Amino acid sequence: MNLLQYQPGESFLHKLNPVTKLLAVFLYCVACIISDSIFVELGLIFLMLIICFFAGLGKRALSLTKNLLILGGMMFILQLLFVRTGTPLLKIGSLCIFTTGGVFSALLLSCRIIATMLPMMLLFAITQMTDLCGAMVKRLHIPYRYAFIVTTAFRFVPLFTSEFHDIEDAQKARGVEYDTKNIFKKIGLVVPLVVPLLMSSLKKVDAGAMSAEVRGFNLRTVRSGYRDYPFAAGDGVCIALTVVLIIISALL
Amino acid sequence: MIQFEDFSFRYKSSEAFALQGISMTIENGAFVGIIGNSGAGKSTLTYTLSGIIPHHFDGDFYGSVKVNGLDTVEVKPEKLAQFVGEVFQDIDSQMVSSIVEDEILFGMENFGVPHDEIGRRLDSVLDMLGIRDLKDRQISSLSGGQKQKVAIAAILAMDPEIIVLDEPTGELDPASSIMIFDILRRLNREFGKTVIVVEQKIMLLCEYVDRLLVMDAGKIVFDGRSEEIVQQVPLFKNLGINVPRVVELGQQLTAAGLYHGAIPLDLDQAEKMVKEVLADAGV
Repeated sequence: MNLLQYQPGESFLHKLNPVTKLLAVFLYCVACIISDSIFVELGLIFLMLIICFFAGLGKRALSLTKNLLILGGMMFILQLLFVRTGTPLLKIGSLCIFTTGGVFSALLLSCRIIATMLPMMLLFAITQMTDLCGAMVKRLHIPYRYAFIVTTAFRFVPLFTSEFHDIEDAQKARGVEYDTKNIFKKIGLVVPLVVPLLMSSLKKVDAGAMSAEVRGFNLRTVRSGYRDYPFAAGDGVCIALTVVLIIISALL
Repeated sequence: MIQFEDFSFRYKSSEAFALQGISMTIENGAFVGIIGNSGAGKSTLTYTLSGIIPHHFDGDFYGSVKVNGLDTVEVKPEKLAQFVGEVFQDIDSQMVSSIVEDEILFGMENFGVPHDEIGRRLDSVLDMLGIRDLKDRQISSLSGGQKQKVAIAAILAMDPEIIVLDEPTGELDPASSIMIFDILRRLNREFGKTVIVVEQKIMLLCEYVDRLLVMDAGKIVFDGRSEEIVQQVPLFKNLGINVPRVVELGQQLTAAGLYHGAIPLDLDQAEKMVKEVLADAGV
């Protein structure tokens, strides 16, 4: 499943104003970044998971965490090998492999990455891209042009993949061995598809622009949007709670 | 009103003219069907109505095209879009949103339709095309026919005076095709909309449109009432366009001396003809 795909729902998280969600995610990330304690980072990850369980997004949050663990693991190894503070823990001959400082900062960084990425990715699970952009145009007065670029880019991702699969299937039907296990052979087969794929995408973008133009794209103003995205009491509570979270993580 | 005056157009990348020497007038409230082989210039003709030619496609533009008295060269497409709504042939690439409801809202929002009016029109087009259950669906998850209905709904929601559709039933099953033409007829008769539709299904055109244009190699080779195609069967055969089978049957029965009435144009008339012939034969 696409990690950034929207998951429809009626939970309290879904119902928040998209601008609130974005701001709350940003503040949550700030809380993760300013803290220097591994326990706070772990606490923040658990808190996010618990919130998700209550919002009915538990499965999604767990699978995201699992995916992020891979990224966290990679960062852990890099930090471990490159941070040289503290006393050496493992030595082979005179070569120091890693130190206490390395272990500490590697753990902190990988936890921090998971703690910051998790809410960001969940934002996409509980918010339609169009709602996010619509609310930003309506509430933050971001020019519609930019919001349209972002939504269009997101819209093109599935189009692009399905087009790619179509070409791949067509080639398979002609006997090209796309299902080969050999990664180098596969890359060799995919590269020639890049240009036609790019060309057909550019054509699609051009036709889309044409369609937007004849439907009055250039006439649009901030007030045109049909949906209103009003703020509610829940939005205030949500932001207040994340601010409290920042204070706690700064103090601990 | 749409006026073409000795209009010709050649795309920048091509040697031949896509349209040549087009002179005609389409009155307000007309229901016009356009048929012709691929490459005959049908889509190019529809592009000129919405100002995409010359504003989006470069090329050599001769003569003039006026829509409601506005020269399409002089006014921008968004100005023309206030009276002309066009459904393009390529359904996928004309979508601008990822959700059905947003797609339909897009045009109305852009033109600044008052918000209570938007809600009313949204409901009305969803019901008109029978796609209310698709309202919250992702467009990428729809079938071709469903997308086609969404594309048509998005244009109808803008409530244009002139509705241009390029093969609007290409992905649709026969029942839905008839539904679309029924909607177009209603818009034409009840609301006085001008409807211009490119269509390959000759039977639908004969049944619904008032005026039929046949195009070949960038020219209009026939322009008349759909009943007149009875006299044009050789022309159609020459171009490789099917004539309705009921017309063919009528002509064959007439040629065989079995039938002497008017050539039928739709199934009801054909049924009457067959009954008459059978009664004469004493069956």
